[in-house]
Amino acid sequence: MPRIPASYLINRVITLFLTVFIAATLIWIIPRLSPIDPADIMLGRMAAGAGSVEGSEDILAQLRENFGLDQPLIIQYFKYLGNIITFDFGLSTASFPTPVSALVAEALPWTIGLMLISIIITFIIGNLLGALMVWDHSPNLVKVAIPAAMVFTSIPPILSGLLLMWIFAAKLQWFPLTGSYGLNVEPGWDWDFMISVLHHGFLPALSIVVVTFGFWALGMRGLMITVQGEDYTKLAEAKGLRPRYILYRYMIRNAILPQITAFALKIGMLVAGQVLVERIFAYNGVGKLLYDAILDQDFPVIQGVSFVIILMTALAVFLVDLVYPLIDPRIRHEGA
Amino acid sequence: MNVLDITDLSIDFPTSKGVVHAVSHFSLSIPHGRRVGFIGESGSGKTTTALAAMRMLASPGFVAGGDIKLNGVGGTDILSLNEEEMRRVRLRKISYIPQGAMNSLNPVMRIENQIWDGIIAHEGHVEPSELQRRSREVLAGVGLEPHVGQLYPHELSGGMKQRVCIAIGVCLQPDLIIADEPTSALDVITQRHVMQTLREVQDKIGAGLILIGHDMGLMAQSVDDLAVMKLGELVEFGTVKQIIEDPQHPYTKELISSVPLVGGESFLDSTGSPPIQEDAGDVPLLEFQNVSRVYGSVTALHPMSFKLDGKVPKIISIVGQSGSGKSTMGGLMLGFNAPSTGQVLFKGQDINALSGDAALTFRKEVQAVFQDPYACFNPFYRVDHALKFPFKRFGLARDEAHVEQAMEEACVAVGLDPSLVLRRYPHQLSGGQRQRLIVARALMLSPKLLIADEPVSMVDASLRATILKNIHDLKDKHGISILYITHDLATAYHVSDYVMVLYHGHVVEAGPPKEVIGNPQHAYTRLLIDSIPWPDLARDWGSAEDAKRDLQKLGEIADRPETVFRGDVSGFALQTA
Repeated sequence: MPRIPASYLINRVITLFLTVFIAATLIWIIPRLSPIDPADIMLGRMAAGAGSVEGSEDILAQLRENFGLDQPLIIQYFKYLGNIITFDFGLSTASFPTPVSALVAEALPWTIGLMLISIIITFIIGNLLGALMVWDHSPNLVKVAIPAAMVFTSIPPILSGLLLMWIFAAKLQWFPLTGSYGLNVEPGWDWDFMISVLHHGFLPALSIVVVTFGFWALGMRGLMITVQGEDYTKLAEAKGLRPRYILYRYMIRNAILPQITAFALKIGMLVAGQVLVERIFAYNGVGKLLYDAILDQDFPVIQGVSFVIILMTALAVFLVDLVYPLIDPRIRHEGA
Repeated sequence: MNVLDITDLSIDFPTSKGVVHAVSHFSLSIPHGRRVGFIGESGSGKTTTALAAMRMLASPGFVAGGDIKLNGVGGTDILSLNEEEMRRVRLRKISYIPQGAMNSLNPVMRIENQIWDGIIAHEGHVEPSELQRRSREVLAGVGLEPHVGQLYPHELSGGMKQRVCIAIGVCLQPDLIIADEPTSALDVITQRHVMQTLREVQDKIGAGLILIGHDMGLMAQSVDDLAVMKLGELVEFGTVKQIIEDPQHPYTKELISSVPLVGGESFLDSTGSPPIQEDAGDVPLLEFQNVSRVYGSVTALHPMSFKLDGKVPKIISIVGQSGSGKSTMGGLMLGFNAPSTGQVLFKGQDINALSGDAALTFRKEVQAVFQDPYACFNPFYRVDHALKFPFKRFGLARDEAHVEQAMEEACVAVGLDPSLVLRRYPHQLSGGQRQRLIVARALMLSPKLLIADEPVSMVDASLRATILKNIHDLKDKHGISILYITHDLATAYHVSDYVMVLYHGHVVEAGPPKEVIGNPQHAYTRLLIDSIPWPDLARDWGSAEDAKRDLQKLGEIADRPETVFRGDVSGFALQTA
């Protein structure tokens, strides 16, 4: 097992904490630059519900106190930092008084389930197709079919989602139109529920795969062309190695390295990036939670979701940094 | 019996501008155990011919006619094999040692795995212990320790990587080894060791050898027969002795005479004398005051001081192998990196503390020519742009007509026909033309000092002399002082007025070239000179044992730095710590 130098590890851990800290601070500052007063909005919502509100000034003051908005900014900031360490993002203003952490915790497994699976499938399919576009020994059919399939990449996910819904859900009725699971099953770790989840997740996942595999395929194609021209690939051929072995062990093995870094960045983006897909399929994930929160100007939820996105990105990059020296021996020297 | 018979071989490359005949009607036979050199300039078809024998022609090239037969009558007809049969021939029957030793190994695979996968691809399943034994054996055969097998390519030096490639090439004891400029990226000392290793293992397994190259000296010291190629045709073939002592074809004669020799006849017109620079004043043009440069824990340049007087222009050569600190010195002079200690002064001013106008003047008066003529031009602009832009930027242009005139004059001064090179894109010009344009570009700005970092190492041998003549003319006709950074002692010998030999950041020997290179005193300089392959059969390169002993000697030199000062030259004063 290759050894990772301690200095490399320390470097990466410091980077991880700094990233999260700076991001958390920005998340706190940006809403405070906004002229919108969350207490006002809540009051407005109450007023809209009840027709009129008695003693609005008192209620506003009470609301501000509840949210801690009556305290000096610096105290608010440190309280905030203390809270986010325990994942306490306060209470949602739209679904008052549900804690933000509860909303996020409920939505996160759905998003991670759907998005992680679809992005992993996309990554594998995209890179493999990108590699086959370049490989000399690919069947001609593959070389023609892949660029044609790339057309899908230029379709916005919202359109492809609607298109898939129309064909497979509305016309053919193979898959349900919307939702994360059927109304006739109870959530739980049983067979019926699992089937229902997979059945409902298929179309949203497919719409993501169809529109994003081209990103990986095109990137991989460029990297493969470079690797194909490398001297080591030529020497591999001159050594009389089998073409398939050269493809996997010499070409893809080297070309995939930058893609893995991109993959880490995508993992963080998957929550934010597929908001619309979750929205049109009425899929109860973090994306939909964020979408609704923005419409409702529910700042605590926006903050909470943003923080989770950043944490996931930073963690994914951190993990890739840890894995990278194992897959690229040249990295081990850096920092040592 | 012949290991390879090439009969009437033609190779075509269809391009959008018509078919290029890369090789035409080439016939040659290589007997078992014989070493044959293919020599010629880039584009002469020597590599293409060899790759055809491997059936590895770069697309869209194809064999338009002729035969390639392995192992004579009843042997294998290379051109009629199917893909799988051809795969089985590679490495087992014909092995290939590639040119770019630096990148020829898979960076994410251990060395031993890269030896094993070749064995497995041809022999199927082999016991791990047997694989271990064989990889150790071939590594030992090229003088590498067993532990090298467990390393990754980036942990090896260039010379070690090239020896690994040789080990891979001989591990299945092929009938024929094709070595494509196997030492072009190596310094002379390592080159000698690698070539001796290759000859030794090739001799042991009795394989035929094709050595592709452009260096007549290397050929003279390495092969038995020589095939001279030009524009895809075999122009002359014979034993090395015949060809070097009595070349028949004019091109062969040109190839031989274009190699500058230490102590040989100069290719320069030495009658000229550089114009005295009256306006130079008493302040030295360039001065190093106790300058050193440290990168992390590595000292690239140890403290040194020199003064270069600008009154009588001079060419000062800085020679050394890669990693000796010579390019670091060039970077310091150009202000590209700041010294770790001391100061670099140009006309008495610290170049790292210049402001505004002074900095601009410094950039105009100190020009540079770099190694790679391909990377020096922006491929999106016509070459005029590279010439015009600095000329206008430094406020030298009066009007468009003046710019045109200056460009044309500069082209003529470096021996280029302006109507053939101007208004073209870089990719339409040859490497030699581009490098001369870079010299012309520098000349247009009438600089006082030119830093030329390996200006001819990437151009064909026959053009080197011409470009060095251009650079020499800058001194003689235009009064420009030049720092010539090179690994090539022979050119430094002819071109320069003063030579500094660098080793591990130390100046080990310095003085006029006739003394330093003509009669070296320091052990390192002597080693460098002894390692040069001479295109002269009477001067033997020594055995593999000699080469190995010399490599060990190098390590000892590094431990005791000292400078051997030879004769002085007026206008240049050097001091080392």
